[in-house]
Amino acid sequence: MPKSLFVDPVETLAPGKITFNDIPVNVYNRTIEEERKRFSDDDLVRIYRDITVLREFESMLSLIKTQGVYNGIETTYPGPAHLSVGQEAAAVGQAYLLDQNDFSFGSHRSHSEILAKALSCIHKLSEQDLMTIMEGFLGGSALRATEKLGPVDDVKELAIRFILYGTLSEIFARETGFHKGMGGSMHAFFLPFGIYPNNAIVGGSAAIATGAALFKKVNGKQGIVVCNSGDGSMARGPVWEAMNFAAMDQFHTLWESHNGGMPILYNVFNNSYGMGDQTRGETMGYDMLARIGSGVSPTQFHAERVNGFNPLAVIDAMERKLEILRKGEGPVMLDTLTYRYSGHSVSDQNAYRTKEEIEAWQAIDPIITYRKSLVDAGVASDSKMEEILAKTAERMTMICKAASDPEVSPYVNFKTDPAVVERMMFSNEKVEKFDDREPEVNMPLEEVPAYKKLKEKERCPIKDGKPVSKMKLFNLRDAMSEVIYDRFYEDPTLIAYGEDCRDWGGAFAVYRGMMDAFPHCRLFNSPIAEAAIVGTAVGYALSGGRALVELMYADFIGCAGDEIFNQMSKWQAMSAGILKMPVVLRVSVGSKYGAQHSQDWTALCAHIPGLKVCFPATPWEAKGLMEAALKGTDPVVFFESQRIYDVGEQFHEGGVPAERYEIEFGDTNKVRDGKDVTILTIGAALYRAMDAAKQLSEKYGMEADVINIHSLVPLDYTKIIESVRKTGRVVLVSDACARGSFLNDVAKNITELCFDDLDAPPVVVGARNWITPPFEFDEFFFPQAGWIIDAIHEKLVPLPGHVVENGCTEAEACRRAKEGV
Amino acid sequence: MANAVIMPKAGITVESCIIGTWEKNIGDAVKVGDILFTYETDKASFECESTEEGTLLEIFFQDGDEVPCLMNVCAIGNPGEDCSALRPTGAAPAEDVPAAQAVAEVKEEAPVAQAAIPTTASGDKTAVSPRAKKLAERAGVDAALATPTGPNGRIIERDVRTLMDNPAVASAPQAQTAPAAAIPEAEYEDVKFSGIRRAISKSMHTSLSTMAQLTHNTSFDASAILAYRKLLKASEGECAGITLGDIVLYAVSRTLLNHPDLNAHMLDDNNIRLFKHVNLGVAVDTPRGLMVPTIFNADQKSLLEISKEVKELAAQCREGNISPDKLSGGTFTVSNLGNMGVESFTPVINPPQTGILGVCGTVDRVKKGKDGEIKIYPAMGLSLTYDHRAVDGTPAARFQKELGYNLENFTMLLAK
Repeated sequence: MPKSLFVDPVETLAPGKITFNDIPVNVYNRTIEEERKRFSDDDLVRIYRDITVLREFESMLSLIKTQGVYNGIETTYPGPAHLSVGQEAAAVGQAYLLDQNDFSFGSHRSHSEILAKALSCIHKLSEQDLMTIMEGFLGGSALRATEKLGPVDDVKELAIRFILYGTLSEIFARETGFHKGMGGSMHAFFLPFGIYPNNAIVGGSAAIATGAALFKKVNGKQGIVVCNSGDGSMARGPVWEAMNFAAMDQFHTLWESHNGGMPILYNVFNNSYGMGDQTRGETMGYDMLARIGSGVSPTQFHAERVNGFNPLAVIDAMERKLEILRKGEGPVMLDTLTYRYSGHSVSDQNAYRTKEEIEAWQAIDPIITYRKSLVDAGVASDSKMEEILAKTAERMTMICKAASDPEVSPYVNFKTDPAVVERMMFSNEKVEKFDDREPEVNMPLEEVPAYKKLKEKERCPIKDGKPVSKMKLFNLRDAMSEVIYDRFYEDPTLIAYGEDCRDWGGAFAVYRGMMDAFPHCRLFNSPIAEAAIVGTAVGYALSGGRALVELMYADFIGCAGDEIFNQMSKWQAMSAGILKMPVVLRVSVGSKYGAQHSQDWTALCAHIPGLKVCFPATPWEAKGLMEAALKGTDPVVFFESQRIYDVGEQFHEGGVPAERYEIEFGDTNKVRDGKDVTILTIGAALYRAMDAAKQLSEKYGMEADVINIHSLVPLDYTKIIESVRKTGRVVLVSDACARGSFLNDVAKNITELCFDDLDAPPVVVGARNWITPPFEFDEFFFPQAGWIIDAIHEKLVPLPGHVVENGCTEAEACRRAKEGV
Repeated sequence: MANAVIMPKAGITVESCIIGTWEKNIGDAVKVGDILFTYETDKASFECESTEEGTLLEIFFQDGDEVPCLMNVCAIGNPGEDCSALRPTGAAPAEDVPAAQAVAEVKEEAPVAQAAIPTTASGDKTAVSPRAKKLAERAGVDAALATPTGPNGRIIERDVRTLMDNPAVASAPQAQTAPAAAIPEAEYEDVKFSGIRRAISKSMHTSLSTMAQLTHNTSFDASAILAYRKLLKASEGECAGITLGDIVLYAVSRTLLNHPDLNAHMLDDNNIRLFKHVNLGVAVDTPRGLMVPTIFNADQKSLLEISKEVKELAAQCREGNISPDKLSGGTFTVSNLGNMGVESFTPVINPPQTGILGVCGTVDRVKKGKDGEIKIYPAMGLSLTYDHRAVDGTPAARFQKELGYNLENFTMLLAK
């Protein structure tokens, strides 16, 4: 909602019509003779060689998976094999013009894309550069393993072996794989050649690749981004969200010196099938997939359909698309037609298509037709082609032998090193800035009006013995803003976006006034597209930047489920620690807004390995955790509560310090000392727990230890154990629905860790397992101080004279469980 | 007439706003729609347009002041007009209000100590919390003896602490007995102890495991009391029911007053409580087990009174309707196994008492008379167990000797 853009009713309501440009379909028609003017004979032959390398690789895997033997080498592996047999020419054509500055992302069927891009880079890079890259990767261990295959004089040949061996050992889950086998077939990649993660989630790369393009655009990096997917992914919402994100008008209207289209190619390797569903004719209705670009942007994404069975046609189309991207007129789209002869996976019996159909495509297999066209045109002799085939098979045999031999290619040893994956889960680094250039800002920090105002606020809720008024009190919202300002002025790669982040200042005003300080390329409004918000942040971060994104309401986590649970959380470990994921995802737990805007979903996030999860409930906590989150290199889901944005710091002595400080993730915050009962809290429930503690003291002479769990993952139990050992009694309170709440996990751990010290089982007081009723009925749904006292009375220690109002007897608990409520 | 401009309500939930900066000064001419000042909520800032036309006469709040919504902020009218009526009464800084409230907030009542109310278990198994169990083990007490006050009748930490404050019942067996060798199930029956049996079991074990008990056995010539008993029996009045046991009780109640260490309670290792009167515990055999009712102030009761009371108490014990009050408070106990033919035994002290007298059967013995003649006489045995922590051997023997003398010269005792 920028004021600079005027929504003119006259223009908006004026009559007219929408026109479209023609979308080219298979327009390539050059002969080999014509192409010989553009390519050397060596190049044309090398294209053939690359196709054979890819074909041999996939055929090898097919044989291993189906027969357990390849060229006399008996081996197999239990993991996936989504083969691209038939699609090799399209991959080679795409990679031909790309270099290591161009990033490519792929799908679960991307072996050919990886190898084609690698072969292209090997051809383009100098021998010296290649040696440097291979020596530098994983400390040279992959190169050492490759050298064991036998002596080789030619560095390029060494590099080909290196890339084949590294990819295959990765597929075979060996420690010598590019990511120690932790990624495997569907997630293989090799960053030094610009080969970025492939993705086992259909369409999973779309938003990530878009984020990588955003990184290049914001940080002025060379190269373009290729987002590869299959035609099946075109039905996925996040793919549409990503394309829409990349097409945002603001890149042309509001980004000033950064104006220009996103440098991204959405390439669909269109083999006509999802898994077994036929995307054209059965499960979708686009007729020709290239039409899709027209639904997203007036540029129609410059989309065209191209014959992927002809590598030269693909190179031709790529050349034109790259030119558009380099002019800043992206995004672009290619509907690259191809066909896979193999099934979706080895278990696929091809029930959905006929043998005739497969044979019809095999009859025009580029490995035959392209070869024939070169031989017919006199580019190379048939015997030369045979020589290439033989060499390819010989090399592949050598690689397969080495990669399947546990002596040469051992597995990671979990017995001798049980913590091997543990070490990959989090990078736990502190990075001040991801680039040395000066951060792009509109004015010095000390001149930013909103920042100045924030600095003038009272950091302690009591001044000269009197409470400070709400308006002048430095509150939880200010605590986060302060850190975000500071970090924006330190890390030039830090960007923040989400719905209404800029002009509005975020729905809850955390970014208030920041539009004065930061240009659009660092703080912008995103479309209402949660999958794209998180997915692009993932791509931005794994490309080398730091992203702070917001989902407005925690309830929208579901809209970005895959991006949070499968992408943001997993890439550090799936890359064996090569990728970093400095993404801070702010999510706000609502109140007053009903069932779809009031949920504390910390448990969902805490359940997923690889995410750090925090939920500050006081300004002191918010500032320290935000500082740690925005300096760290791990993905953080940063929960906030709309009930307490306005609270001042009531617990930390002296209020919120003006100076910078970090709260270590894992730490807990003890806010009250007592000896009789421990109350553990998460989120805004802290304040109701403090009410309960007050009543316990005044009415029953009982003193509560109150500890706020502001970091759920990781969580250091030391202080909790210490408290429970002292009191022997523990109540856990949060606003999350009790069933499956994270508190149950804490309660279970306390039971194990402090069993002999417990005077009663830990009691979880959560919200009811209902929809959130209207705000008027909050007291019947969310834990109240009285509920906590009831729980103590009923489950821990009877309180003299206490009358239970919201108790839950054992019989009632069983009934509720039985009813599922 | 002067009019006021109010602080607009910027949202349903907004209760007050802060004035940013005044765009107009006092004396400035103002038109409707002119921006008077900027103001802000915690989330956004706004401009306040004038709703009046005229001259800005007075500004009630300054830059940075927090003003409740809908309150008058300034007055606009004709130059020189009095606008004091429009001035809000609460135009003082907002901080004062909550401060006053804070002072008014006083603790209304002092904390009440946590009182424990005994609770009942839902099942018949006594549950003990892990913490209570651990504490009991460390303190060497049997948690199962505690009175449960936790939820569902669970024994919780505080119950064990209460138990620890009452050492008489608290001590627990230290050693586990080895499991018995396997015996076919048909050869035995496992019987659960009754409540009384459990109480006896615990009390007896506590007694023997915490005290320094030893027993002296003596006897006396029962000729005098047998003769007296014969006399009473022949009387046919209410005195006819007086037994030999009653006579011993009477003698004990009188003799004890001269031996206060045996009419006492051991309070702990350092203190003993000496009683001025004798509350005599009398061991009674009942179908449910041994019970020990008390004859309070036995030293002040006549032989007949004692006799009648013993009968009454024993009957109540056997019928099971005795008041619990009468089962405690004893200062010394007498246990009579005489009619069972027991010649001597080692009665077990009922804690926290310091002594117990066992009355044995009568056997014929011979003694040399003053004239050197051998004489057969009925000798009745007395077994005194005493707590050596409280009483030494000689004083104990002295009590026994005096008691024997009193019984041998019973009519003289009656006369006193």
